[in-house]
Amino acid sequence: MGGLEKKKYQRGSATNYITRNKARKKLQLSLPDFRRLCILKGIYPHEPKHKKKVNKGSTAARTFYLLKDIKFLLHEPIVNKFREYKIFVRKLRKAYGKSEWGTAERLKDNKPTYKLDHIVKERYPTFVDALRDLDDALSMCFLFSTFPRTGKCHVQTIQLCRRLAVEFLNYVIASRSLRKVFLSIKGIYYQAEVLGQPITWITPYAFAHDHPTDVDYRVMATFTEFYTTLLGFVNFRLYHSLNLHYPPKIDGQAEVELKPAEGKEYAMDSESYLEKLSALSASLARVVAPTQEDDVEMDEFPVEGETAEQMDARRKEQEALEKHKKLFEGLRFFLNREVPREPLAFIIRCFGGQVSWDKSLCIGATYDVSDPSITHQIVDRPQVEQQVVGRYYLQPQWVFDSVNAKLCLPVADYFPGVLLPPHLSPFVTEQEGDYIPPEKLKLLAMQRGEDPGEESEEEEEEEEEEDDNDKEEEEEEEDESEKEEEMKLKKMEEQKTQSNKALPVKVTAGKVRLEDKQRLEQEQQSEEKRLAIMMMKKREKYLYKKIMFGKKRKIREANKLAAKRKAHDTAMKEEKKKTKKARHA
Amino acid sequence: AVRHSRRGSSSHGSLSFLGLTPSARDPATAVRRRNRGPRNRKKGWKRWAGPEARLGREIGDFLEDVTLQQRVAGGLIAEQPDAGLFFVDTGSAEKGERRKRKNKIREKPLHIDLVLRPDSKVPAPKDILSHQIPNGRKERRRQQFWERMAQRGVLPRSERRLQTRLQNPAPPREKPPEKGRLDPGRSFYDIWADDNPLERALVGQDAWFLQQTQKQRVKRPLRLQQKPSQLPAVEVIAPGGSYNPTFEDHQVCGGDKVERQLRFPTAAEAPTAETVFREQCEGLLEESGDEEEEEEEKEEEEKKEEAVGGAQPSDPPRLLHRPGKKTEQQRRKEKEARELQRRRLKALRCRQQQLFRLRSLGRQLRRWEQELLRRRRAREAKRREMEGRPRRLGRIKYEDPALEVQLSDELPEGSVLHDRFKSLQKRSLIEPRERAKFKRKYRLKYVEKRAFREVT
Repeated sequence: MGGLEKKKYQRGSATNYITRNKARKKLQLSLPDFRRLCILKGIYPHEPKHKKKVNKGSTAARTFYLLKDIKFLLHEPIVNKFREYKIFVRKLRKAYGKSEWGTAERLKDNKPTYKLDHIVKERYPTFVDALRDLDDALSMCFLFSTFPRTGKCHVQTIQLCRRLAVEFLNYVIASRSLRKVFLSIKGIYYQAEVLGQPITWITPYAFAHDHPTDVDYRVMATFTEFYTTLLGFVNFRLYHSLNLHYPPKIDGQAEVELKPAEGKEYAMDSESYLEKLSALSASLARVVAPTQEDDVEMDEFPVEGETAEQMDARRKEQEALEKHKKLFEGLRFFLNREVPREPLAFIIRCFGGQVSWDKSLCIGATYDVSDPSITHQIVDRPQVEQQVVGRYYLQPQWVFDSVNAKLCLPVADYFPGVLLPPHLSPFVTEQEGDYIPPEKLKLLAMQRGEDPGEESEEEEEEEEEEDDNDKEEEEEEEDESEKEEEMKLKKMEEQKTQSNKALPVKVTAGKVRLEDKQRLEQEQQSEEKRLAIMMMKKREKYLYKKIMFGKKRKIREANKLAAKRKAHDTAMKEEKKKTKKARHA
Repeated sequence: AVRHSRRGSSSHGSLSFLGLTPSARDPATAVRRRNRGPRNRKKGWKRWAGPEARLGREIGDFLEDVTLQQRVAGGLIAEQPDAGLFFVDTGSAEKGERRKRKNKIREKPLHIDLVLRPDSKVPAPKDILSHQIPNGRKERRRQQFWERMAQRGVLPRSERRLQTRLQNPAPPREKPPEKGRLDPGRSFYDIWADDNPLERALVGQDAWFLQQTQKQRVKRPLRLQQKPSQLPAVEVIAPGGSYNPTFEDHQVCGGDKVERQLRFPTAAEAPTAETVFREQCEGLLEESGDEEEEEEEKEEEEKKEEAVGGAQPSDPPRLLHRPGKKTEQQRRKEKEARELQRRRLKALRCRQQQLFRLRSLGRQLRRWEQELLRRRRAREAKRREMEGRPRRLGRIKYEDPALEVQLSDELPEGSVLHDRFKSLQKRSLIEPRERAKFKRKYRLKYVEKRAFREVT
C-alpha cells in the first residue's frame, strides 16, 4: 500500500458545500448583507444529502450553500457596493457625531447606490422566463403598495410598488387578459393569461392590516427590491407589445374629460397623474392609433399531427375565450361608495364594461348616479332607497361570480338583501368521483346552456313575489319593470338553449346501438378485471383492496356530504318559511 | 468649677433621663469609660474602684482644668470680666490685613519652583526668524513690480485664472447623481431587446478580450436557473377559504389536508393480471440468451484458474542453511503453500459442483436483480415524495401555517404578508428562522409611586 494517507473531509461532498458563516466570511459581508445578496442573485441554501459528511462529522443542523454558488457570488459587482455603503454609513455617522453638517451633506450627495438591472437580465435571460416568475413579483408589489406609509419600510418602495402595480393592472385591462377571480379570506386571487402564460397573484384587502411580528420585514423588502426592478422591465415590454405608451399615458379624449379642475381636490399635481391612472377608469393612449385591420381574423393553419376534432375543439375554445373577454361589453356600471372600488373597477373594465362611481369617492369618475344609461348599480347594503327604473341593483359578488362562470349570471340571486349563493373557487377542477356541490353543478349546467333547477328558482321567485306584495305599491312598479326585463332575459336564454338543444336530439337517436356495444365492452372489461383480481398475488391483492376501500370511502364521504347538505338545505328552508309566516302574522 | 459643675450636671441628667433599666447607659459616658488596664490580676480589679478613687479622679480633673484656664486666659474664666472674654465685631478692617498677609504668602514662590529654575544666568538666544521675513527684499520688489504692472493692466496668472473662473463658472454636474433602484420615478427600458443599454458597450467586441479584461460578467451557471422547489409561487387557497364558501367546502376544509397526504393510488394504477405476470417474468425474459454466455464465461474462468494453479506450486525453498534440515521459516511457508493449494482445489471442486447447479444459481441471480430493482424503485419513490417537501435548511424546521377558516360572521382574516413569507420558506428560498430574542441582563424592579399608591 503506497500513496499518501487519505484524510477525512478533504474531498467529496464535504468540499462541495460551505456553511453560511464561512461563505459570509469569504465574501467579507455582514450577515444581513449576505442574505440580501443571496436573495438578489437568486442563490438559495441547499440541503446536502449526507449532512454528517458535509458537516465534518457533526450532526448539527446548519445552513449550507454550494461552494460553486458562493464562488459565483464573488464576481458580483454589487458586493463592492455593499462594502462602499458600509463605509458611507460609517463616515456619515462620524460626521454627524462631530456635527460637521457640511461633510454630512456632501456625503449624502455621494451616497453609493446600485441598480439591479444586470441581475434581472442575468436571472431571466429571456422575456418568457421573467413572465414565468411574475407571480411572486406581482404578489409582493401589490402587498407592499398597500402598506401604510410608516416606518416599516421606505416610503419610496411603497410608491414604486404602487406605481408598478397600477401599471400592470392597466395593462391587464388593455389586453383583457384576466381569467379568474377568487375572493378568499386571505385576499383576492386573480389569474390572468399574459402572452400564453397563466399568471396568478394575490392582493390583500384594503382593510387596515395589523403587522404580524413573526415576519422578517428585511427579507421581504429585499425580495420586493428585486421584484420591483423585474416588474418594471416586464411592464415596459408588455406595454410595448400592445403599442402602448410607457410610462402609460391616459387616452387624450378621456384626459380632456377628466381635466376640468377636478384633480386639485384629491391630490397634488405630482400625484394626481398616478391617482388618475389608479382610478382605472380611463383607457390608455397607444403609440399608433388602433385601426380596423387589427380585427381581421387570423388565417388558421392546421398544426401537424392534429385531427379535425382537436382543431374543432381548439376553435371552440378560442370562441369561448373571445366571448368571455367581451362579457361586460355594453354594460354600464355604477359603484356605490360602500363597495370596494378598485377590484370591482378593475374587473369590470377587464371585461369591457364601463364603470363609474361617486365624484367625491375617487378621482376619475366618468358619469353620475343619475345617468339613465346605467344598467347595473353595485350596492352592498340591505335596502336601497330611491331606486331608479331601468337598472339592476346588485351585490358585488355578482360581478365576481359572473366572471368565473364566464357568463352573466341570472341577477335574481344577487339582489340587495338576498342571501347570496356561495362564492365558488374557480381554481378547483373536480376529478371523477369527487364531490361536486350542487351550486357548481348548476353553474356547469348553465355554462352548457341548459336551464337547470327551474322549479326551485320559480319557487324562490314566487316567494319573492309574495314578499313583494307585502311591500308598498311604489316599489311594485319598479319590480314589474324588473320582472319584465327578467322575462325578456329569460326568453333570450330560452332561445339560446333551444338553438343548442336542436343538436343533441339527432345524436341521441343513434345512441341506442352504441350503448349496447358499450355495455358489452364494459361487461367484458369488468369480467377481465375480476379475473385479474383473482389472479393477483396475495400481497398485491391486499394493496388493491386497500385502494378500493379508500375509493369507496371517498364516495361514501361524498354521499355523506350530500346528505348533510340536503339536511342543511331543508332546515334552512323551513326556517325561512317560519320567519316568513312570522312576518305575515 | 464651671466646667466641673457642667460635667456633673450633665452626667446626672443623663442618668436621671435614661436610667429606665439598670443596664441602660448614657452612650456618651459609655464611650468615655476609662480603660482600667489588665483585669487578669487582682491589682487590675482593685485599682480606681470605689468612691474615694472617683473623688480623687474628679479632683485631679478639676485641678487640671484650673491650670489650663490659668495658662490660656491668665486666671479662672469665671472670674474674668466680660471685656476680657468678648469683643465687638466692627467689620472687615482687620480681615483686609489678613488677606494682605495671605497674598504675601502667595507671592512667595514655591520651593519646588525655586528648585526647577535654570541655573544659567545667560539668556536664551532670540528667535530671529520670527522677526524676519525670508526673501523679504525679493518679495517686496516683486510686489512693487506687480503693482506697477497692475497700473498698466497686467495681472498675474493666478489672478487671471481666478477671474476667468468667476466669469464663466463650470457647468452644473453633467449627469445628476444616479438614482437608486427604489426611486419611484425611475425609468425602465427594454432589457431583453438586442441593443439594450446594459450590453450596448460590449456589442461587437472580441469575446476573448472581454473575458480576459473582465469586462464581461461571469456567466450564470445553468444549475441556478432551476428553482429549489417545483411548488407554485402562489398557491391558491382551498375552496373552503372562500369568503362565502359552500357548506361542504367549509366542512371539508379541515379534513382535506389530511386526505391529500394519504392519497391512495387510483384504479388505473392498480395491478392487473398482465402487469403482475410481467413483473414476475421480469428477470426471465433475457435469461435464455444470457445463460449460455454465462456458462461459457464460467468455463473460461475455470480454465484460466487451473492454468494459474498449475504454475503456482512455488519453487522449492532454497536450502542455504543446512542440506538436511529446513528452517522454521521454510516450514511455515511450505505449510502456507499447502494450505493455499488445498483451498484452491476445494474451490475448484465447488465450482465444478456449481456447474450442475446452474439453474438454481440463475434463479438466485434473478431474484437478486429483482430485489435490486425493487429497492431502486422504492428509493425513487421516496425521492419523489421528498421532492415536494420543504428542505431542512437550518436549525428550525419549516412548519405549515395554521389552516385559515373563516368562522361564521367575521371579517376576512389572514395576512397576505404572512402567507407570502411562509410560501418563500416552503419553497426553500429562505431558511426558517426565529426572531432574535431580546434578553435583559438584569431584572427589572417595579416600584409603585407613592402618589399613585395613595390614589388606589
